[in-house]
Amino acid sequence: MLQRRITERCRIVMQDRKSLVLVAPAFAWLTAFMVVPCLLILALAFFRRGIYGGIEYDITFENFAMVLDPLYARIFLKSAWIAGLAALIAAVLGYAAAYAIASMPRHRQPALLFFAILPFWSNYLVRTYAWIVLLNREGLIVGIARALGFSGEMPQMLYTEGAVVLGLVYNYLPFVILAAYAPLSRLNPEISEASRDLGAGRWTTFRRVILPITLPGVATGFVFVFVLSIGNFVTPALLGGGQFQMIGNLVYDQFLSANDWPFGSALSMVLIAVMLVLLTAQTFANERASTGRQSAEPADG
Amino acid sequence: MTTLLSIRNVEKHFGRVRAVNGVSLDIRENEFFALLGSSGSGKTTLLRMLAGFETLSAGQILLNGRDISNVAPNHRPVNLMFQSYALFPHMSVAQNIAYGLEMEKLPRAEIRARVDEILSTIQLSALAARKPEQLSGGQRQRVALARALVKRPQLLLLDEPLGALDKKLRSEMQLELKRIQHQFGITFVIVTHDQEEALVMADRIAILQHGELVQCAPPREVYEHPATRFAAEFIGVMNFIPVQRDGAKLTAADGSAIHAAIPEGLGADIVAAVRPERLRLDAENCDNRLSGRILATAYHGLDLQVHVAIPAMAKPMVCRVTADAAEARDFKADDILTLGWNSADTRLFAA
Amino acid sequence: MADRLNMRVMLLILSLVFAFLYLPISVLVGLSFNAGGMPTAWTGFSLKWYGALFANRDILRAAGNTLVVGLVSAGIATILGTLLAIGIEIRRRKGRFLETLVFAPMVIPDIVLAIALLSFFSLLDVRLGLHTVILAHVVFNLAFVCAVVRARLKSFDWSIVEASADLGASTLTTLRRVVLPALAPAIIAGGLLAFTLSVDEFIIAFFTAGPERASITLPMQIYAMIRFGVTPEINVLATLVIGFSLVTLALSQRLNRGGLPGQ
Repeated sequence: MLQRRITERCRIVMQDRKSLVLVAPAFAWLTAFMVVPCLLILALAFFRRGIYGGIEYDITFENFAMVLDPLYARIFLKSAWIAGLAALIAAVLGYAAAYAIASMPRHRQPALLFFAILPFWSNYLVRTYAWIVLLNREGLIVGIARALGFSGEMPQMLYTEGAVVLGLVYNYLPFVILAAYAPLSRLNPEISEASRDLGAGRWTTFRRVILPITLPGVATGFVFVFVLSIGNFVTPALLGGGQFQMIGNLVYDQFLSANDWPFGSALSMVLIAVMLVLLTAQTFANERASTGRQSAEPADG
Repeated sequence: MTTLLSIRNVEKHFGRVRAVNGVSLDIRENEFFALLGSSGSGKTTLLRMLAGFETLSAGQILLNGRDISNVAPNHRPVNLMFQSYALFPHMSVAQNIAYGLEMEKLPRAEIRARVDEILSTIQLSALAARKPEQLSGGQRQRVALARALVKRPQLLLLDEPLGALDKKLRSEMQLELKRIQHQFGITFVIVTHDQEEALVMADRIAILQHGELVQCAPPREVYEHPATRFAAEFIGVMNFIPVQRDGAKLTAADGSAIHAAIPEGLGADIVAAVRPERLRLDAENCDNRLSGRILATAYHGLDLQVHVAIPAMAKPMVCRVTADAAEARDFKADDILTLGWNSADTRLFAA
Repeated sequence: MADRLNMRVMLLILSLVFAFLYLPISVLVGLSFNAGGMPTAWTGFSLKWYGALFANRDILRAAGNTLVVGLVSAGIATILGTLLAIGIEIRRRKGRFLETLVFAPMVIPDIVLAIALLSFFSLLDVRLGLHTVILAHVVFNLAFVCAVVRARLKSFDWSIVEASADLGASTLTTLRRVVLPALAPAIIAGGLLAFTLSVDEFIIAFFTAGPERASITLPMQIYAMIRFGVTPEINVLATLVIGFSLVTLALSQRLNRGGLPGQ
């Protein structure tokens, strides 16, 4: 018995030594070009900006204090508002789309899902640009309105908060569809039939049974859209036209024009912190609700 | 006994496939009724029509004389225990059971009282706060049963209720289900592919094949007087002996005469059928006799099954010998054995 | 029953969502063939803007740069990512740390990784250029290749490895003759996916390519053009980029029937 346990242990060690050789190159790469750079900006966030743009190496919390400055705090809140709005709309639309896909005949679902996600794999800039073509003053929507005989003053569509939210929703919607579809497709159809059988109507069945079980998927989608949106600088720059700033733009400025790297780093760290908090909260929520997943088949007696 | 449920000429078409084809049945109050058939027989479709999850292509379903064919599942006084149990994974055992009562908008105190009562009936009071995933298969099965029973439906439908359980637990639950049905006095309609299960539990069995009703009768009748060759083959073990008919004379392939009452409407090609336990070793006292070589013996504890190859017959005959008889006589392969049986135990079907 | 109504509502939702997803892109593709080039008026079918695009030296150079970055970074990432995936799967002691490390590039906001790498390179006084873009792109490409290959390994029948060893093959021979061929579709699919991601990637390239015009990638070029406003040339470029992504993705999908990347 003891003998066998010793051989077993040796095997594990051998196995791990072999696997170490396989893992090492990628591990080294990720350490050099991800871990170290990220630790670097974590460190930078605690240094002071030099008078002429350089970095002075004494420890300070000024940069984090600056994040709380009303000027920047407002940008933070604004970013959170826009990202939250985009995430909420994307979550609702994405859930509806995923629900619709999941209620189609089984053999059609993979193709539908594939085409729902396909746009996600085309270029982000191009997808954003498409909305410039549609929304601008000489754009397609205005053109169609004119062609239909509308001659009054058209409201400004491009370079508004709405355009930015629209752009974010458009770009990240496929992501939410994918995230929301997974638990919906795994849902045992007999579960909702059971609810109907016990006397619940369609709406009650949806509210009390389907939604609680499948919500974790859409929550994952929500968190990701929020995180991706709040750090986004391309969409605000292109569809917001520099009318307002989001955190992403602020970070961008610190590195490419204002030359305040420590402050830019501090902003990034706050971004990462927000992301970590949300992801952790969501993981916890999912674990608590995970009972809802492995539902379909009863295990053995 | 009065009729609770009338199924009248019910049909269900899926495209060109007729899953259920003109089935008519009456199910009585307080009855334990089994729908028996292999997969594709239409038994599950029929059950789902009773529950309201499939529409009828033709025909009617009457409950207490009222047509419920077009009543939505949530408005039928009928409940279904699903094959997968379909317990709500995000609710505790007690919440699962209370769900159906909440849908009836009953006062909270009454809901609690009824949930507590049924939990003690199924002996799961201690697990009321557990989530379904924390239960064993047998416990889940009982929760699913309780969830449907607590609504006190006029009719409880059970879709392969014991299918997910292991063999030992299954035979315990067969008796438990019968006990519960008796205690609650509710009509049970159970769908199963397991003929033994149907024989053990049901008061009456309906055998379905290709969407059509083959026979509907009490277990004993179904076993002793199967209506068709299919029914004879599907239930239990049956020996089939091809025979040629010449007027009132029947002759087996080896030339032996077979005596049996010939029903109306049979042609020249006939199979005679006899159950293994009706075959006797004292062949000289029997109406019918066939001799052959012993192929093999199979020991089953309760009895010994002797397989006998009859000349000119494709399949060997199976004879069940009781433990006592098996001890009294040594059956060896290649020995010649003569099997006998009486004409009263012989059934005839078209070949 | 109301099921038919239900189905109709579902179909309506699907049509609306698909219209929302595909109409804007389709408009671009349509406009790229518009002789007049402006979105408001259709003046006839023409390929002249395609001609104009292929005469634009800036765009051709950017496309060339992108190809180099895509091929090299996807190549490196495919090798490292595959080894990593196999390594993680055969490790008996699953390290949560390693898992997180591999997963991280997928969730860290692009801008954070971009500025981190920019700070890192400038602190080390590394001259920025295409090579720094490649170094950076391998980081996230690695994560995706590893994810695709690991998905394949989850359904991998490890008993064939034991069978190979039982038949006398060494670990290396087993890897070369049994494991890699069995994984080949996933590896190629992962590589193609990495290539697509790299070709489309903008933010990290923008920060790590440096100021020189010679190291501009295609997405950087597109970004610069878009900021100028709507021009017929962007429509053409956009159409080509979309077409390219779709072809690569379809190819990767065909090779690896395990499902859509990210699934």
